[in-house]
Amino acid sequence: MRTAADLNFGETGIICGIEGSHPSSRRILEIGFTPGQEIELISKAVFNDPLAFSVRGTIIAIRKNEAACIKLI
Amino acid sequence: MSLQKLEDNYLITLVGPPNSGKTTLFNYLSGKNYKTVNYPGATVEYSVSKVQKKFNLNASILDSPGIVSLSSHSPDEQVSIDSLYSHPTYGIPNLVIVTVDSSQISRHLLLVKQLIQSKFNVIVALTMVDLLRRKGFVVSPLILSVELNCDVVPIDGRSGSGVDELIKAAEQNLQNNKLSGLINPVPFDSNINVEYLLGLYKEIEQIEYKAVSKIIDNGDQIDINNANKRLVLLNTELSRKINLPDQTSLKIDRIILHKIWGIVLFFLAMAMTFTSIFWLAHPVMNLVDEAFGFLSYEALNILGNNWYGNFIANGIISGTGAVMIFIPQIIILFLILGILEDTGYLARGAMLIDKPLSKIGLNGRSFVPMLSGFACAIPAILAARTIPNKRERFLTIFIIPLMSCSARIPVYALLLAYIFPPEKEWIAGITLAGIYILSIAGSVSVAGIVNKLKNKIITAEDNSSFILELPTYRLPKVSVVISNSYHSTKVYFKKAGPIILLLSGVIWFLTYFPDYSPKVDTNNLNREQKIELQSSTRLANSYAADFGKIIQPIMSPIGMDWRVGVALISSFAAREVFVSSLALIFKVTGDKSTLQTSMLREMHKATIGNTGKTLFTPATIAGLIVFFIFALQCMSTMAVSRKETGSWRIPLIQFFIFTFSAYCFAIIVVNGLRILGIN
Repeated sequence: MRTAADLNFGETGIICGIEGSHPSSRRILEIGFTPGQEIELISKAVFNDPLAFSVRGTIIAIRKNEAACIKLI
Repeated sequence: MSLQKLEDNYLITLVGPPNSGKTTLFNYLSGKNYKTVNYPGATVEYSVSKVQKKFNLNASILDSPGIVSLSSHSPDEQVSIDSLYSHPTYGIPNLVIVTVDSSQISRHLLLVKQLIQSKFNVIVALTMVDLLRRKGFVVSPLILSVELNCDVVPIDGRSGSGVDELIKAAEQNLQNNKLSGLINPVPFDSNINVEYLLGLYKEIEQIEYKAVSKIIDNGDQIDINNANKRLVLLNTELSRKINLPDQTSLKIDRIILHKIWGIVLFFLAMAMTFTSIFWLAHPVMNLVDEAFGFLSYEALNILGNNWYGNFIANGIISGTGAVMIFIPQIIILFLILGILEDTGYLARGAMLIDKPLSKIGLNGRSFVPMLSGFACAIPAILAARTIPNKRERFLTIFIIPLMSCSARIPVYALLLAYIFPPEKEWIAGITLAGIYILSIAGSVSVAGIVNKLKNKIITAEDNSSFILELPTYRLPKVSVVISNSYHSTKVYFKKAGPIILLLSGVIWFLTYFPDYSPKVDTNNLNREQKIELQSSTRLANSYAADFGKIIQPIMSPIGMDWRVGVALISSFAAREVFVSSLALIFKVTGDKSTLQTSMLREMHKATIGNTGKTLFTPATIAGLIVFFIFALQCMSTMAVSRKETGSWRIPLIQFFIFTFSAYCFAIIVVNGLRILGIN
């Protein structure tokens, strides 16, 4: 399954769910990554980690392993 | 509850997500008369203030760290949530004002909904309406107010427009609430299931569709019809556009967050910051220097060369002046940190450096505390509260004392001015940059070593996470940056000033007595030579000299004598005191040149005992610099470290490891350089 961590630079995706087993999953939801939202990969830092996404009108930086639990349609 | 205490004086608590304009509003309402300082990058303590008189509302207002929801993930968020439910001195707030960024309504309403569900008395302050307008949308406070069932007031915290309406709404609300009785909030269960969270977001999206609408071509009217239609149609194309981030920020980020250029710019920005401290401050420093030199000379002239004239001229004026010279550098450091913070760059810096820092057991969120460590370790350690993971937080606190804080600037600047003549000032600037790099390298190695030792020093383990909002870029508002630097400098002054003054007095006493009026052969000597001979005889017989002879064995290995020893010991109260102590011990007032020039001249003349060997050589100066890079010579830092880590364990380990290794490194450097023939 494709996750937010698989997005390419400038590519958009629609969230279908969050992997619940990751300790950060609740925070990821709270900050606005909820099912149905469209996100776009804005930037990757050196070593491709963390990643910055546009979501709900802002830009959020998040580690790659955390982005990997954002499942896309 | 001490709610009675505030009977006619209401408590209004300001909460809001990070970057929602909360602190800007607080500053506007309080007129900046807050009690605690705001630390760079984050508010980590609550600040309390009375609402400014001009608003005519008898209430206290409390600013607290930003929160995303009512469940906390880090200690700074816990501070906010605790203060909402039961503030230790003020109790439960009569009113909660929540700042909501209009351009991010769909995220920021989450907190509003949770607060209302928990039965707090809430008013929403709608900020950044202009940002939403730039995207081509407007929000209807009326619809929002109906949907949320609370007052909604659009404001601009920077210009202050709408704040009067906000105050009016607050006043009305407090009046009504007085009749309906006390507020009794329901504790928020942070373990409630995910379904609830998703349901909340669904409701919020519905509200957003109803309240936000596109601006029609000619004018700024709200198109209610269109908004209503959208309720049925749920035009996803439109909602997507509302939720686009600021386009200018995206463009800037294409460079700032570029994979390669981003990191290059990052290091350039850091290098610029630290070198400019040196060359930007210089002209102002000269002025201050001349002023104190003149004052000290005149004081001795007017009061005469007796004990009180000496006390005023040397003890007070030269002692404090030696440190005051470096205030311009400290102001510049605060200014640059303020600009970096205000533009929104700090969060980007944190993102860029997260991966490298995570390799040594730190976190991207350690970046802001570490950077503030270059100003002062105390707010820096407090700022570490924003790090959710305990282990990473403790490790950050552990290495912060190694960051080259502003109290070290006076020491380095004096020592560098000694080695490098004024015409080679740029070399001093580069060397200072080198010192900063060494201090960063030192702290990084220490972090790496402590991290490798796993649980030996820091015993804590939990999920490591980095989730951080990158705020919209803004031009820093000059007046805000200037008043913040003024505020920080004032805090620095208040903290360091009394210690410097007190210790200058003590050192002066120890170096002046008991043989305050030595009998010297004054034949064939002019006035200046007479004063000089008198003071050196006086010093050689002083209490300080007696004490110095005891510590001489410790000082010899680093090529120093008892005089530097006395200055070093006094520097454990505060590092800057080292400079004022040296000024007292080495400087002989009696000529008209600037304070620093005559001090440096005396240092050049100084020899070790009767050996005739020069005391201050490039080797011994390097040794001293290395000592100051590593040693933990600040009691306040230890006290804060103990408070934030919960025991004396970490501060004591810090003190002994850092100071002992500083001494060892100094021995190695001094003797190493001597073997290499540099002396």
